[in-house]
Amino acid sequence: MSGSQQGARTPRTLAVADVGGATASVALLGQVDGRWRLLGGLAAPAGAPVDVLCQVVAARIAAVDPELARDLEIGANGQADFPWLRSRSHPPATLLVLAATRRAVGLLESEAVRTGWRCVSASTETHDPREMTALALRPDVGAILIGAGDPPGPDERSALDDLAALGAAVAHRREDLPIVLAGAMRGRGIWGEASRKPDAEAAASTSLRPVEAPAVSGRRGAGADLRAVLDGLLAEPDDGRQALRRSAESLADLLDRRVELVEIGLDGGTRVLAEPGVAGADPSSQAIVTVVGALVPTEADDATVDGVLSWTTGGLDRHRMADRLRDLRAHPWADASGDGARLRLAAASAALMRLAAVTPEFGLRPAPDVTVVAGGAFATAPPAAIALAVAGTIRRTGATQIAFDHARLLGPIGTIEDAAERRALLADLVVDALVPLGTVVVAGGLGVRSTGRRRDRVASGRVHLASDETPTTRDLVAGGLAFLPLAPGSVAEARFEFEYPVHLGRQARRMTVPVTGGLAGLVVDLRDVPMRLPERRDRRRTIVADWSAMSWPRDER
Amino acid sequence: MTGLPAGLELVRARALTVGPIEAWFPMEPGDRPLVTAGEAVVAGAPLTDRLRDPRTEVVAGPVEADAEPGTWWAGDPSRGRRGPASRVRGELLFRSARRWRVAAGDPGEPLVAPFAGVVGVVRSGIGLSIRTPARGLLGVDVIGDATTGRLDIVAPRDGYVRASEIDIRAADSILVAGAHIDAEAITRARAVGVRGIVVAGLGIKERREIVASERRARASVHALSPFAVLVLEGAIGRPIAPAMMTMLEALQGLSVAIIAEPACLVVEDPKVGLPKPAPGRVGIAAGPLAGVEGAWGGLAGQIRCAGGAFLEAGYVLLDGRGPIAVPLGDLERYA
Repeated sequence: MSGSQQGARTPRTLAVADVGGATASVALLGQVDGRWRLLGGLAAPAGAPVDVLCQVVAARIAAVDPELARDLEIGANGQADFPWLRSRSHPPATLLVLAATRRAVGLLESEAVRTGWRCVSASTETHDPREMTALALRPDVGAILIGAGDPPGPDERSALDDLAALGAAVAHRREDLPIVLAGAMRGRGIWGEASRKPDAEAAASTSLRPVEAPAVSGRRGAGADLRAVLDGLLAEPDDGRQALRRSAESLADLLDRRVELVEIGLDGGTRVLAEPGVAGADPSSQAIVTVVGALVPTEADDATVDGVLSWTTGGLDRHRMADRLRDLRAHPWADASGDGARLRLAAASAALMRLAAVTPEFGLRPAPDVTVVAGGAFATAPPAAIALAVAGTIRRTGATQIAFDHARLLGPIGTIEDAAERRALLADLVVDALVPLGTVVVAGGLGVRSTGRRRDRVASGRVHLASDETPTTRDLVAGGLAFLPLAPGSVAEARFEFEYPVHLGRQARRMTVPVTGGLAGLVVDLRDVPMRLPERRDRRRTIVADWSAMSWPRDER
Repeated sequence: MTGLPAGLELVRARALTVGPIEAWFPMEPGDRPLVTAGEAVVAGAPLTDRLRDPRTEVVAGPVEADAEPGTWWAGDPSRGRRGPASRVRGELLFRSARRWRVAAGDPGEPLVAPFAGVVGVVRSGIGLSIRTPARGLLGVDVIGDATTGRLDIVAPRDGYVRASEIDIRAADSILVAGAHIDAEAITRARAVGVRGIVVAGLGIKERREIVASERRARASVHALSPFAVLVLEGAIGRPIAPAMMTMLEALQGLSVAIIAEPACLVVEDPKVGLPKPAPGRVGIAAGPLAGVEGAWGGLAGQIRCAGGAFLEAGYVLLDGRGPIAVPLGDLERYA
């Protein structure tokens, strides 16, 4: 990523490009009245040259506001030599996880899936040496992780020599392949035997990279070092997902709010929780970048297909949905309207569910003040549907303001290495970069509604929205949703009254929550926490169709 | 400068052909390469001996100190104790506790070269490549083995082939089956000796059935001839792109091959002309007009589409009709 700016004098126009797996997005920033503003943007299918995209954007700006274009030295035909900020999403590589037992593989894999690697696993209990060698020699395998407990468990000991020898043989045959050793696999004396060289020399002659990581265990957090090593193998200076973490930190620092960022892209997803520094300290963050959060995994299994089906209202069976997802994976830019837009959002919702499942520690934290949604998966969905998708998948009681990185600026801005420079640019751009979708208030502990029997539903409470606009009062039903209009930029107080104490960050019957407006307004979500959808497909579809009707502008299907 | 009409660079480029081709044939540990790098091979020449029912044998293995993983090794019946272990032949995997793990199995059907060429690299247990000056019509996916046959178009580009339409006359041919084909028709084609199928869309269900069928065929005592399905567009049945269909029509009756990497239909005869689409033509690959072609008419700006989505669009001048605005993502240009 080039965070550098070209030219000797301070530029007044800046081109920003985020090249993803599905689409390439370009935006032009300009200095207007002494601050950076978003002038315009454009996205096209991946592979489109970003300089041409930039030229089209610049030409449109010149056509709409010639005076501004002249002031910013944008030519009438869009020709200009702008400095660039670029980020890129790199396609995931495959990590082969090998261990002696299913248990050990499971532990290793549970950490490996929380990295940018796509995982394939095998153990000596499930695969014979030929099958394991075949997996290791697959051209798409980009690294191998061989691990064991430290000390190894009784069920592992007998297979460790075989595993080490297998790793050495593979290193001998594929010298370009990084092999990561974890736990008791480090320091096995078999490497020299396999390569006919002393151990140290053998290790130096291959790309062997022993991992200084704790033993694999089920203890929470024990795998952080291992994840750091695995992510380090993938580190690229222009990686957009890693850059999102830095942008989230800058946002938290800038807004002095706890910021959660969730991103769904074609090849992976990101979840970041950033907090402002206390007493002059730098902001801090936790982040997980994982291929599990991809819009559609490369090979969508039945669980993935079922996950998407649970968020759709159509009558597709599992095979047809698998076909749709396969084509969505192959041509993510195509068929982006109508049914295609709904399919995308259903796939994005399923991806958010997977992302939430591999980041359970994030869910234990209180609801963030601001939730930023990013990624091309949401580009064609209406604001209310995006808010509902996030509320329905990243479920926590409390109130959070939701905003959308519509121009995909956060990735490229995150590539600026200097934190002060990044913060200064974001300070100017935050209003333009983030579209406010509104505030989502999730209340828990209201019990389960009786599905499909609307007449039996009785009000469980009431919300009164006091704002400068017309005050609004709405009855609330357990298990239901309520959308209250609240314009972007508006600030109001929502007063809740329930029959019984509910969880809303804290437990109470009456409470007042400050809310801010957005394109979707105020969303009051009284559905179960965690979400429980009926097993029966027809009942589930009825419920999802109800929610969908509330959040999509019109059902044109 | 790309030399393309204004705005057309923003439309996804789709390569219809490839050439020259460097074909990759994957191998499994235990498969024995029968060619070496730089060797010229003719069509039909055996490339590898593939194992049937592969397994791992644990043996004392070679006595040579320089024996390396990945090399082929055959047990010496004259050495040591005579028994099943001395007859083991296979690929050395690794040595542990002073005993070698060897990928062995029963000899299966060999992989033969589907076209003439020069062997590029040979990596035991991984694969080998063959370079050829031939051209290929690119698809998105191949299910099955490399195969050869005479191309026979049995359905229009938006057509559908039923099992009853495939009979013994199609033996040894590669059928162009239009937009979609079901699993039953594929099973029948396999049974009557069809060598391959070219189809626009193939669903997950059909793919799984083909893979299972191939696995059964490989496990059987009497191996069947190689068979492959070349998928041109994706999983959902949609018409073959007009430009691609024009090329396929030019190959009617000629000998062609299907290979998996790159997924393409290989045309060896250099004298065969493959009609290229006119410059500036774009195809509509998705949406209600999928399968239609027209001339590029320039960028249309953002248009409001179904569901309230605003998408960047381009004008397409359809033959005999005025320009229509189509989202850029639904378009493809031919490279």
